[in-house]
Amino acid sequence: MSVLRTAMLSRIARPTARSITSTVGVHGVRTIQTTPVAAATPQGVQSQPRTPMPSDPNPSKTTTGIELANQGSNQLSLETPRNAAEYVLSTFDKIANWARQGSMWPMTFGLACCAVEMMHMAAARYDQDRLGIVFRASPRQSDIMIVAGTLTNKMAPALRKVYDQMPEPRWVISMGSCANGGGYYHYSYSVVRGCDRIVPVDIYVPGCPPTAEALLYGMLQLQRKMRKSRKGVLWYRR
Amino acid sequence: MSNSLWRYVKNVQAMGFKQYIRAMWYIGDAKHGKLMGEDQFGNKYYENLNPEQETPGRQRWIDFTQHDFNASQVPPEWHAWLNHIRKDPPSSDFHLIQASRPKWIGPWRENLTGTRGAFKTYSTTKPKFFPWEPKVGQRGGPSASA
Repeated sequence: MSVLRTAMLSRIARPTARSITSTVGVHGVRTIQTTPVAAATPQGVQSQPRTPMPSDPNPSKTTTGIELANQGSNQLSLETPRNAAEYVLSTFDKIANWARQGSMWPMTFGLACCAVEMMHMAAARYDQDRLGIVFRASPRQSDIMIVAGTLTNKMAPALRKVYDQMPEPRWVISMGSCANGGGYYHYSYSVVRGCDRIVPVDIYVPGCPPTAEALLYGMLQLQRKMRKSRKGVLWYRR
Repeated sequence: MSNSLWRYVKNVQAMGFKQYIRAMWYIGDAKHGKLMGEDQFGNKYYENLNPEQETPGRQRWIDFTQHDFNASQVPPEWHAWLNHIRKDPPSSDFHLIQASRPKWIGPWRENLTGTRGAFKTYSTTKPKFFPWEPKVGQRGGPSASA
């Protein structure tokens, strides 16, 4: 790891055009960041400047990035089970994930114009109900909170209270630039600079306001995140 | 008219048992149409312009290769065809599309957010947190001797 890092840094130190482009690729970046040493070594070899770039004219050699996501996993970035008990438990996990992602009930925390787009997601064109997404007015019956709009200092305690009332497992979608990081009102005296200062956020949907389509895509990304959950396996390993 | 039992039975007959199971698994309807082409990832694109069989708006559809499919796996040329931005499928005017495509555009890549392939910017700053490195202390400290 440290060898890799020094190699990378020495290449940064003399910024020829080639060395810069080689760090742009997915492989070159990922190895240095978080992957463990064993997994990083084969990719580390790939991140040398001699390897073909993503814009290589020969399309058969180029990577789509999906190989990296599928490496050592049976689904996207989901680990292959190590033994029989893990096979059983991961199957239970999959069933739980399937049930969860099929009935996502969002708590609507509509605060501003984003809420209108959130309503559009519920309306006939995008029709969230076909995905099993039903708005609930009560936090005790919902498992997702969509923070749609500017979160003011005055509203923040209420937001936290509503979040605390939601049962586990719970997820939060931050919708729009105001909820993501303050947005237009970032320098205001009365606005929270991002709702992740109050509650942990799973999915950030960018936009001002995001389209209903974008929010729906955010919901699909949250489904992907739910699919990655493997609580049973982790319990067994511990 | 498009949801009649007769259409269903005819489609099942036309597409065969294996295709039927696949269509019911992934699409949820026995959709049958003409295969218009296949993209570089192996996704298959179908069209059925017969208004008696398919409702207008559902005339073009895709059969994804991957089990874990999402809409970002559709490359832009086929996306244009699928959403009626282009009339002809890209396999028919492939060279025109290639000519109008800037050279600096990279290969199409699906959205890998939330997976190991997700894009992360290269950071030169020191990381704020590190993985835990457990250290075992020596046994027999001052409390053990007492």
